[in-house]
Amino acid sequence: MSSIPQNRVSGRRRRSPLPYTWQKGYLLAGPAFVVMLAIFVYPLGYSFLMSFFRWDLSGSAPFIGTGNYTDELFGRQFNQALRNQIIFSVVSITVEVVAGMAIAVLVNGELRGMRLARTLLLVPPMIAPAVVGLNFRWLFNTQYGLVDALLRMFNLPNIPWLSDPTWALVSVIIADVWQNTPLMVLLFLAGLQSLPQEPLEAATVDGAGPWQRFWHIVLPLMRPVIMIALMLRIIDTFRTFDVVWLMTQGGPGGASNLLTVYAYLLAFQAVDFGHAAAVSYIALGMSLVVLGLLYGVPWLIAKRRAI
Amino acid sequence: MSGNLSRRKFLAAGATVAAGSLAAPWIARAQANEITALLITGGPLYPKYWEKIVQDFTAKTGIKVRYDLLEFTPLTSKVVTLSAARSSQYDVYSTHTAQIDSYFSHFAPLNSYFSESELADFYPVAVKYLRDPKNGNLAAIPRNMDARVQYYRSDIYQEKGLKPAETWEELVDVGLKLTGNGHYGLVVPGQGDPAQRTFSDLLWQAGGDWVDQANKPAFNSEAGIKALTFYRDLVQKHKIVPPDAVGYQWNENSTEFSSGTVYANFDWPGAFATLSNPDTSRVVGKWSTAPYVRDKASISCAISHAMALNGQSGRKDPAVEFIKFTVGPEAQRLQFDQFTNFPSSQAIAKEVIAAAKGPQATWLQQLETTIANGKEWPKLPGFSKVCTLMFSAIEQALTDQVSPSDSLNQAAVEAEDTMRRAGAYD
Repeated sequence: MSSIPQNRVSGRRRRSPLPYTWQKGYLLAGPAFVVMLAIFVYPLGYSFLMSFFRWDLSGSAPFIGTGNYTDELFGRQFNQALRNQIIFSVVSITVEVVAGMAIAVLVNGELRGMRLARTLLLVPPMIAPAVVGLNFRWLFNTQYGLVDALLRMFNLPNIPWLSDPTWALVSVIIADVWQNTPLMVLLFLAGLQSLPQEPLEAATVDGAGPWQRFWHIVLPLMRPVIMIALMLRIIDTFRTFDVVWLMTQGGPGGASNLLTVYAYLLAFQAVDFGHAAAVSYIALGMSLVVLGLLYGVPWLIAKRRAI
Repeated sequence: MSGNLSRRKFLAAGATVAAGSLAAPWIARAQANEITALLITGGPLYPKYWEKIVQDFTAKTGIKVRYDLLEFTPLTSKVVTLSAARSSQYDVYSTHTAQIDSYFSHFAPLNSYFSESELADFYPVAVKYLRDPKNGNLAAIPRNMDARVQYYRSDIYQEKGLKPAETWEELVDVGLKLTGNGHYGLVVPGQGDPAQRTFSDLLWQAGGDWVDQANKPAFNSEAGIKALTFYRDLVQKHKIVPPDAVGYQWNENSTEFSSGTVYANFDWPGAFATLSNPDTSRVVGKWSTAPYVRDKASISCAISHAMALNGQSGRKDPAVEFIKFTVGPEAQRLQFDQFTNFPSSQAIAKEVIAAAKGPQATWLQQLETTIANGKEWPKLPGFSKVCTLMFSAIEQALTDQVSPSDSLNQAAVEAEDTMRRAGAYD
């Protein structure tokens, strides 16, 4: 007992003055900390709490436990949005990564005009998603749109891009692929240009063809870059809103509704913040699970191999 | 001094500064004789209209009004957000019948500020659907009426020897005769709230209603199924409506007619001014108006843009003075002159109808008939969420994803559950 410090016995911790460098550090970090607290941590925590209440502007907001989550998980509209979200994420990421890698390999060569091509690749990611959405809405208009006008020119039938349930989802995937594939190209291009040349030269000397060099050397060496690209796109596809909202508003009949659009409709049209918050957290949870699998599974495999 | 600063003191000082910064705008705003308002805009004339209203109000009362303008959809989103945050940023809101039930707990009741005789001058249908059915509180006061009539291409109709449709059957017949060569006989919106409004009109016309006597969903009745089947067939079977209309809201609906692609539509009062203006219409002088079509009954929606008092406002009396001014005779006359917005005051409506001539007089009389026969969907707890269910149900039927009966039956089950949870049957 005698070894217990005095300040513990008296119930008060002795507060030592902060060293000057710490004070300076706190002072400099203070504004950023307050801003982070105000605009990030507080709304995030508040909306998480909101997801456990019936929060609909009716005055009372009773605690309903996981009611909002179970309502949505067993609800028709949520399941339609979830199905769309999975199709949208899987298809657009797959196309963007495969096409991105192919284009990156192409523009990595020394062909004429590649410098211009690399510059042009910067354009789509620089355009605001809202502008992309509006442009594609007009491009895909059956009566006035450029795409159907071209189809008519070649005596091909019109495609009901935005008015058919299947084509509506395809249309928003096309818009997303158009905007984000160049970003993948730029990431992969940076990766390709930083690859060590020795293994490639050795493989060439050993008689490996271009495809074998790509499959057995380039692709394994590019794995960290691909993982980063996948991570960015998984996070992005679970946040996609503007393009879908401006092209289809999730319609027709919810056929292109993604989780973000569905959450927005719940919050601002149904004025049901509790369910909207629950949907947002389910979406967040799903993207975290997918990212966890993306990083966790290879890590587990590597660990098991090491054992 | 700085050497003795502890973490706790530092954090306390930081919190005080943060609280002060957050409170500063409210402290600065709380000036006497000044109120704040979030007002609706739409088109280039609205800012000038509000500027004049505010100037006239300030000259008359000495009360200053600081205001922000937003278009309908962002305005609705902002009012929802501010209400959820119980914000007192604005004393006065522009609002609308469409979502009024969501704000019953957040807008201050206006009953005590308007006498019975003052209220009697407003169209009864407008006042009825701005009241909370549970306690009779008046959540907002109507500023102008929103109802629709038929707009049709009189030049084309005359050329083909056609008359504007009066019934559903005639609507299809006339539409079929006009559709072809890149033109369509009719356009109806097919997405979101506009789709629900269109279904709602057809539901009432077919003899149905949204809820029964016990406030249980009744829109899946025989009349409801007939209405949605007719609506779907306009697009999918008769094909007298542009195929992309299933993704149209009001703007696209109006543009199809004003661009000359489509020969008839059902549109709001503002269309009269838009279609008469060469800057916004390719069909100036080539169109006319007719009553809305009917089936068993001749009913369509009659709703209103309105003004509401924020329940959190600390300056309710001057705010109500402003609200009264915006729905007063001068403001209503100015609205009609500038935007052909139909007055919510019956006295002013009679005045403008009496003063109107030619096609405008005919149109105003048709509009008044629509308003006299008009209805709105019920303002029951949870009905805002039922609306989003309906958007999806109607769109799915219109795009042939499910049959009208399956779509409505499923929506009815979900709607009853939604309204029960919201306390509609307590």
